[in-house]
Order: sequence, then C-alpha cells, then structure tokens
Amino acid sequence: MSWAWGIVWPALLLTPALAAQQTDLFERDVKPLITANCLGCHNRKIRMSGLSLASRQDAMAGGKRGPVLVPGRPAESRLLKVLRHQDAVKMPPGRMLAAGEIDRFERWIAGGVVWPEEAARAAPKPNHWSFKTPKKPPLPPVKNTAWPRSPVDRFILARLEKEGIAPSPEAPKTTLIRRAYLDLIGLLPSPEQVRAFLDDTRSDAWERVIDGLLASPHYGERWGRRWLDYARYADSDAGSRDEPRQIWRYRDWVIHALNRDLPFDRFVLEQLAGDLLPQPTDDQLIATGFHRNSVLQIEAGTDREQYRVEAVFDRVDTTGTVFLGLSVGCARCHDHKYDPITHREYYRLFAFFNTSDEWGNDRPRYNARLHNLHQVHAPLLEFASPEEIRRRDQLVDRVLKLEDELEKIRRESGRRTGDPRAKALDEEIKTLIKQVPRFESSMIMRELPQRRDTHVFLGGDFLSQGERVDPGTPSFLHPFPGGASATRLDLARWLVDPENPLLARVTVNRIWQEYFGRGIVETENDFGTQAAPPTHPELLDWLSVTFVESGWSRKAIHRLITTSAAYRQSSHARRDLQEKDPRNYLLARQSRLRLDAEIVRDAALSASGLLAPRVGGPSMFPPQPAAAMQASQVKKTWTASTAPDRYRRGMYTFFWRVTPHPSLVVFDAPNSMTACTRRTRSNTPLQALAMLNELAFHEFAQGMAERLVKEIPAGGEPRMRRAFELCLSRQPDVSELERLRELLAAERDDLESRPEDAEKLVRADPSAGAHAIELAVWTALSRVLLNTDEFMTRE
Amino acid sequence: MAFQDEQLLAQTRRYFFRDCGVGLGRIALGSLLARSSGAAPANPMAPKKPHFEPKAKAVIYLFMAGGPSQLDMFVHKPVLDKLSGQAPPESLMKGKRFAFMERMAHQKMLGSPWKFSQHGQSGAWISELLPNTAVIADDIAIVNTMRTENFNHAPAKIFAHTGSVIAGRPSIGSWITYGLGSESENLPGFVALQSGPRGPRNGPLIWGSGFLPSAYQGVPFLPGSEPVFNLQSRPGVSRRRQERTVKAIRALNELRFSATGDDEILTRIASYETAFRMQTSGPELMNLAGESKETLDLYGAQPGGNSFANNALLARRLVERGVRCVQVYHTDWDHHTGIQDSLPKRCREIDRASSALVQDLKRRGLLKDTLVIWGGEFGRTPISDGEIGATIGRNHHIEAYSTWLAGGGVQGGQVIGESDDIGFSPVEDEVQVHDLHATILHLFGLDHTRLTYRFQGRDFRLTDVGGRVVKRLLA
Repeated sequence: MSWAWGIVWPALLLTPALAAQQTDLFERDVKPLITANCLGCHNRKIRMSGLSLASRQDAMAGGKRGPVLVPGRPAESRLLKVLRHQDAVKMPPGRMLAAGEIDRFERWIAGGVVWPEEAARAAPKPNHWSFKTPKKPPLPPVKNTAWPRSPVDRFILARLEKEGIAPSPEAPKTTLIRRAYLDLIGLLPSPEQVRAFLDDTRSDAWERVIDGLLASPHYGERWGRRWLDYARYADSDAGSRDEPRQIWRYRDWVIHALNRDLPFDRFVLEQLAGDLLPQPTDDQLIATGFHRNSVLQIEAGTDREQYRVEAVFDRVDTTGTVFLGLSVGCARCHDHKYDPITHREYYRLFAFFNTSDEWGNDRPRYNARLHNLHQVHAPLLEFASPEEIRRRDQLVDRVLKLEDELEKIRRESGRRTGDPRAKALDEEIKTLIKQVPRFESSMIMRELPQRRDTHVFLGGDFLSQGERVDPGTPSFLHPFPGGASATRLDLARWLVDPENPLLARVTVNRIWQEYFGRGIVETENDFGTQAAPPTHPELLDWLSVTFVESGWSRKAIHRLITTSAAYRQSSHARRDLQEKDPRNYLLARQSRLRLDAEIVRDAALSASGLLAPRVGGPSMFPPQPAAAMQASQVKKTWTASTAPDRYRRGMYTFFWRVTPHPSLVVFDAPNSMTACTRRTRSNTPLQALAMLNELAFHEFAQGMAERLVKEIPAGGEPRMRRAFELCLSRQPDVSELERLRELLAAERDDLESRPEDAEKLVRADPSAGAHAIELAVWTALSRVLLNTDEFMTRE
Repeated sequence: MAFQDEQLLAQTRRYFFRDCGVGLGRIALGSLLARSSGAAPANPMAPKKPHFEPKAKAVIYLFMAGGPSQLDMFVHKPVLDKLSGQAPPESLMKGKRFAFMERMAHQKMLGSPWKFSQHGQSGAWISELLPNTAVIADDIAIVNTMRTENFNHAPAKIFAHTGSVIAGRPSIGSWITYGLGSESENLPGFVALQSGPRGPRNGPLIWGSGFLPSAYQGVPFLPGSEPVFNLQSRPGVSRRRQERTVKAIRALNELRFSATGDDEILTRIASYETAFRMQTSGPELMNLAGESKETLDLYGAQPGGNSFANNALLARRLVERGVRCVQVYHTDWDHHTGIQDSLPKRCREIDRASSALVQDLKRRGLLKDTLVIWGGEFGRTPISDGEIGATIGRNHHIEAYSTWLAGGGVQGGQVIGESDDIGFSPVEDEVQVHDLHATILHLFGLDHTRLTYRFQGRDFRLTDVGGRVVKRLLA
C-alpha cells in the first residue's frame, strides 16, 4: 500500500492519486458506516450532543464535548475511542461496530479525513465508485487453491478466507441439476435427465449440462421473462378501460434475442432505437416495443397531452433504472437530492423521447363502439398490405364522421329516441363497423416528421414550461457526442459505449442477483451515491469488464457463474454463519429461493407431463377464479384456453394490468406499471390457497397421477419414488416414503368408502384408462408433493 | 428489545412447545415432533410480549383516501367564511408550495358551505355533514393539526402507512403484527378491506411488509363469501381430505426444515395452516346474515354487497376473532372540484358506519382495547381550487388536517390542536405523522424507538428518526 498507517498526511498535501484512494476509502468503506450507524442522531437536525456528522465541516467542528476528529492522528481522535468503547461515551449505543469497521475509520482518519463532498466540488466528476469506468482487477490470491472452479470463485474465496469462513460443501448432484434447470430454463429436469447426469462420470459433466441448458430454446423464456419485468411488459393499457393491446411479438423478440445470444449492446440498441437504424427490419421495429409498453390512459375528458407526457416520463425513468441503475426520476421535479443529475438534465433526457409519435391530442378520438385501437395504439407494424390498411383507414374515418353527425342530430333532437335520421345513421354505422378488418400488429416506436420542442417542466408539471432544452445526457457521466439534433439512436449508442461505467455493472449485477438471491450491489436499481456498497467490488468490476470483452455475451456470464464452486455450494443453513454472516452477504453458502410466479406453474407443468413446450406466440388464458375479472371498470370475459394452449408456460398468461391473473399476483409477479428490477418473494396463506385449490393446479395433480399410473403400472413404492423424482428430482428418504405410504393408505380407505369423491377428483376422460379410485389416490399424493415447500423452491 | 430473526425463532419455538394447539386442527403434533429431530416449526404470528403494559389489542384504521376536507367537517373557521371569495393575504401564499401549483396562483379563499355546531361535553365542532359522528363526540379525540410531508397522493399515502415517502417500507399493520403477533389462528393477523369507486393507489404497497418477513403483510379481502380467491376446495376434496393433505405437506416440510434449517419453511408451514383454517373461518366471517337487524341497521350494512358500512362491520367481526390490524380503505375524497356534491355523498357513505363501529365496539366491551382511527393522507386547502362558481373545490393541504381516534386507551371527548383563523397552519399542538405512529405503537405497549428491524446495516423503525408520543391523546 502506498499510503502508510499512522503517517501524518495533511489533506492538502495528498497527491491526486492518494486523494483518490482516500476518497474511495471514504465513499466505499466509511460513509456507509456513518450513514447506517451515526447519522440517525448526529445529523444537522438532531445534533445529539451538539455533534453532526453530515459533512466534514460539521464533523471537524465537533460537539459539546469538543472535537472528535484530528486529521492524520487517529490516536488523538476521540471518535475512535468512542467507537472502541474506550471512552466514557460508547457509540453506537448498546453495541460496538466490528473491529474491521472501526479499522476503516482509523485508516480514514490517518489519511487526513478526506470527505467526498469536497472532492466532488473540486473535481469535475463526483468521485463515486460506480461513476468511474471499471477496470479489470487481477484475480486475488487464495490459500485453498483446490476450491475455485471459475475465476469468480477467487473473489468469493479470498473474501471468505479474509473473514476466516469456510465455504459450504458442494450440494448433492440431484440438487445441483434441479438448480441449474430452474435457474437457466425455468423447468424441472425429467427423472431421466437427472439419471443421465448422475451416471455421467466425465470430468466436464456439469459443464455439459450447463451448455445444454444455455442452448435450450427455453433459456430465452426463463431469462426473457426477467427482461420483460424491466420492460414492464403487459397485454393491456392500464387505462380506465384497460384496453387490450397487441405487443406479444415484442415478447417473442426478447426470447429469440436471448436464445441467439444477441450481444447485449446490440440488444439495447435495437430496443431503444431499432426504428432509427438504416432500413430497419421488422424484427428491429418490433424490438422498439420496449418503450411502447408504457401505461396508456384512454379516458374521455382527459387532456391527452398530460398522459402523453406521463408516458415519456415513464420512458426516461425506465431508461435510467434499466440501463444506468440510477433513479433519474428523482430529478423530474428538482435536482436529484443525492446524485449529480440536475433538473435540467432530466429534461435533456426527456427530449430524446419527446419526439415520438404517440396517442395525443392530434389523433382521432377513441370510439368505444368502433374500438379503433389501431389508431390509439399506433404507430404499429401492421401485418397487412398497404391497400388493406388504406381501405381500413377509410372505413374508420367514415365511421368517425358518421358518429359526429349522429351526435349532432341527437343533440338537436334533444336526445329523443326514435328520430328516424338517427336510427338510419346508427344502422349504417353498425354495418360499417362490421366491415372494419382487424389486422395482426405490434406496437413500435416512430419519430414525428416534425420534432417537438422540449422545455423543462417546473416542478415536474407539464403545464409549467421553463427553459427550452436540447437532448443530452447527464454531464457527470462519459461524454455525449451528439448535438442539438441528437436522437434516440445517439442516446442508445452512448449507453452502450464501453466507457459507460454503469451499463455493464448494472447488467451483470442483476444476473448475479438471480443466482444468489441478491446482487453484489444489493440496491440493484440504485448505483448512485446512496447505493449499498458492493459486497465484492472487484468481482463486480471483473465481471463487468469480462462481459464487455466477451462481446457482451450474456451466455458467457451465465456460464462463468453457473460453473463456479460458489454457485454449486449447498444452500443449507449453517450454525456458524448465523453468527458471522446471517444474511449471507459473503456467500459462504447458496440460498434457497422460492420460484417466480410463472415458474411455480412451469415446474408443476413439467412434473405433470402436461407442459405444451411451444416457444413464443400470442398470450393464452389458463383457468382462473371467476371473480378475478370483477375489479375492472369495463367487464371483461376470461374464457380459459383449451389444450394445448391451456398448458403453456406461465409467461404466456395474458396480462391484464388492472386485473392480472390472481396466481401471478399472489406469487409476486410485478404489476407491470413501471420497470421492476427485483421481485419480492413473499410467503403467504394466499399462495397456499392457490396451490391447493386453484383449478389449474388441480389439473396438474390429475395429469401427474395419470402419468404415474401409466409410467409405473406396478404402483406401490416404485411409483412413489417416481412421483418424488418428478417433483423434487431426488429419491425420498425412509421417513418421507413412510409418510407417503400413510397418506396413500388413508386416501385409499377413504375413497373406497366414498367412491363418488374419486369420480369428482379425476378428469372426466383421463388419458390413463385406470380405475377412478386408483387415479384419485395418486392425484391426492401428487397434490401433496406439488404443495411442498421444496417443490416451489430452488435449493 | 429488537425482534431479530433469531429471537423471533426462539420465541416462536417456545410458544410452540408451550401450546401445541397452534397446529392444524389440533392434530397430534407430538408424534411429528418426535420424528423431526427436535426442530420445531415456528409460527411467526405467535403472540409476543410488548415492551410495556398495552392499552390496545387491535386497531381498525378507517382510511379516507384522497384527502378529506377538514374545513368542511371538523374545523370551524368563521373568519374564513367571512373572507370567502377574497384573495388570500400575500403573506400567506409566499413561499408556500401546493399540488397543482400553477392553478393556485389566482385563487380565492373558500369558506365552508356547511353549518357547524358543537357536540358532546367537549363542545367539539362538527359539521352537518357528519350527524352520526357528532353522536360519538365524547368517545373520540379529534386532532385538527395533523401535518404530513408530501402533497401528492401516492407518496403521502405511503408515508401515512409506512412512515416513509419512498414505497417499500413496512406498513403500520406489519410493524404491529411483527411486534406482537396475532391472536387469530384462523385468519391473517393483518387484513385490508376496500370500498369506494376506485382501487387504492399503490395497492399492495400500502399494506406491504417491506423488508419485514412476508408473513406480516396485510391480506386484502374481497367482498362475498369467498373473500380471497381459491378459498373453496375443489369438488371431491372433502374437509377431511384437505386436512389430510395439509397434514402430509406439513410433515414433508418439517423433514425438509430439519435437513436445510431454512426458516422460510416454517413460514410456509404457518401459511398452509392459516390457509386451511381460513377455508372455514373466511366464509363464516363474511356472512353478515347472522348479525341482528338492529346491528345491520346501525351500520347501514346489507349482507351480500360491498360497501364501507359492510367493511366497518366486518372490521368488528375480524377484531372479535383476534385479528390484530384491520385497514379499511374508502376512496374518492380528492375533491378538487364538485366538492358541494361529492363530499356529502362520501360523508353519507362513511358517517353512519364509522359512528356505528365505535358504538358497537363500546357496547360489546371491545372499544377499551380496540383503537379506531379515522383520517386520510392529508386535508384540503382553505383556498379554492379553481373559480368559485357553480362548482367549488379545494386543493391538497398538508399543514393542518383532521384525524380522529377512539378507544384502545385514547382519551375521548377532546379536540387537540388549534390552527390560525383561516385554518392554514397550526398555532399549537402540531401532530406529525411520525407522532401519530409513535402514539399508536405506544397504545400497543410498544416503544417506537425500540421496535426496530435490522436491514441493510441499519436498524429501521416505523418512525424513522422522528416521532413523539402525543401524551394528551392517552387516557
């Protein structure tokens, strides 16, 4: 280390390099401690004991008992004594910080009490770690050289060794293969796939599994659904009528882009600005659906400009969250409170999205009877010939004109019924509406021929226009080459510039989050100055640089992580970690993670054998409770799809924003109103009710029973074992088998005395020609297994 | 005492051993326990001891979403009535921020079109819009100087429920059930009921458990005999079969818990047992037909429908069954225009039932330990929103709005807080949202500075770094 302990370094004499190091130390290691442990009482408002630690100036002023900090002289700084509980005053109250944490304070004081706010004022760029382009750090040395399997492991192990914690043993192979299947494709392995892996003694058996899964078309579904969370994808508007929209082709685009491992920079570029590429293909146009997923309010009497502006806000905020990991939305009404994004800069970003063609005051009104959604939802890529489109538009114009005439007549006649003119017109309109063809389409972005001016909205209010601004990006980040006429394409190019310090970090962090339940930066949607400090900063940078070097290949990152020893650890709780790292920040074990809403369904579909594996296509309608559509203003019908659509994966469920499928909601699927970059994982009685009582899940149990009866005609223990393998990918132990045996016996007794129950429990025309009681008994057993915690958990 | 996970686990284990009745339908747990190598399942909802002797056991929060107009209901300002139609003094408007700021620049003062009179021994002013609330004047404490921090609905609502304007922190009900558990074995400890023309903004976020374990989140109930989706078993699944199923699931889950040591499995076990019991208790709870005609009339409730009145009555039934926290949401109090028609309508929807709830709890002996709170996320301005004409309205106002509390250790029959002559700012006894939260927790025997949860390296609490108990509210 170039700066030594205990040596006096007056802050002003620090070389720039040392100052930068000290700033990093403060930003990363000291400030979060102050924020978490001190600021609650020692802020400017409360100033407990007269002391504020809100700035260097405050801290240097000390409190009622005198100064607390002497730069360069830790031994004379009272703060350290207080923290070490060597003073009459002991802080924080009732507990002591970890020795390592106090050491950070010591190093910081020794280094001259460098405080980043001052550095920020002096430097053109704020000195926050995530605002600097990552550099690839060397792999740290480790003692236990046998453990690492992937470069990733060196970082994890080095940290664990530093803390004196041993990693967990590898999980059993049955757990591993179930984990990999669920993580990479969101489906369960078949018992045969499990068996093949167990029997594969080749040294690269695991890598072969991973490569196979990355090549599976279902990989794009599993990871595509996560991207759709960010894209706030839905099949309806969320307006007061919650009108349906056609944009599932965008979903397909995402799935296929992931499957062919479209380089991430290209993936971003086409979604943000595919329409502005030279001679865009249909695919590139469909990709721009990303930003057409905004909520759209269609409501009589509203100022459409207000809702157009709201959609643009949403696009700016989503762009900030998804590609920069920054809460830029905070600057909508005023300068960002914590990050260096000004109010004005927010509107420079806004300007990129303010030039798009959009439902606004310049469009014909929405007509409920005509349902002219193609005009409301335009711009669209319509799958029809220009001639067909022209004819349709003429018809629609004619209807709208006649509706105006009809309204005029009604007004004149005082809304009396039976006016013969009105009646005739009404008939004509009805006839015309029947002739209006409806084309397949997908919502896309398109620029207006004439660009709109963008003004700062004072206080975020679209009616209070301030200064006019040109498009541009926040000045604290890497330079933006575009000028006043810059477009979304320029913005997209700026975002994917390897100089961008945030895009790669934010992206790999979110991938990491899926595998370990938490990102290296826990605040996955905030990499600004209020971000949680990274648990493994060098690993984050190493992965980010590697990601870019790999040609932005997400599959490369998946492979690096899933082939690591860290990933392959057991997820069992450890008594020693309860003390040292109860929340598992250091990753001395894996975590048990409840499956996503859609994947709970997908796993049950896998086990039941009912899964319709078709990839892509329009949304479908699995059964749901009859009352589920009641909450919407305009009553909608939900006619359950029949097989095979009925048994497609959860991600294809038609998503009405106002009334989403209840089983998606109870298992924490995002509401699709705004970008969601981390799902919560709740655990509630409502989930139990869905799993136990929903028709869809009952059908899975029936399907599984039919499958069991067919596949293991002998019944008994082999069939129980098969059931266990189908659901949990492992063999039951003695106690588990005994419990299942008890259940089977009790069910058989019960059903034999009440055979009418058996008839109700099984499907009307089961595919297996077995006796109803036999099927009902195994349906009961299947229900139990499908409802275990282990079933809906990735261990 | 900070309820850390470990402690919670230990406590719930103790509770479990002490009272094995917590299990499903009193099944023989002894044998299960013997088999599961000593690891006992915990119930995160097991009752826990408060910090000190509590006054309240349950809370019903009647939340009036949108910002009810205190100046037309509880705050009588003759001076404002006199100045109605005049421009507000410049000194008043200087430096003030409002929602829809641009519209407020040229507006006039707006007196109340409704008559006020004094009620009860405290002489509380209550307007003619709330004749039934006037009847319980001596049971309620009206705070007329509530103050919040944000004048937009979504953040203000999040703040009113979680003590933070940023969505994602635990709501009051989650904090209380986390601190105390619930006495209901058959129903969730925290239930949310909704009525009114629109769904609550932010939906689940305002009854979410934030970073607290998910078992503490509020469960929304729907109207009808199936208050939650999928409450009824499938055809052919008898009660006995369902019980056998849940018992087998539990057994397998316990075995997995002993293998993995993951507490989430304990929560899963508790969830399944609550779910199973809800299948019986849910329909029974929702069936108002068993209530006497006199009680139904008192509330203005009608079996079968969805209304604030039904929900107020349901709230009593939930509390009777040991549910700890009930949030009753009634929407559409955002009267920028048309207040002359809309406010009387809203008041008719809630006045009778709110009053009935307090009276009904009282006569059943439940009011002394049931806290009832009535209020919204903010109030409305003494200045008109838009021209004063055929239609009138008021803008959002955060500096002095009204909330009332009753029961659960609250000293009724008093009015707290005085604002200036036009009701713009408090002149004494300002009560901030954190203060209200601190007081609610205090009534439950919880010290708001000690009810904490460690998250992201920091001990979080409902009142953040603020909050003081409003002593005058305590009986």
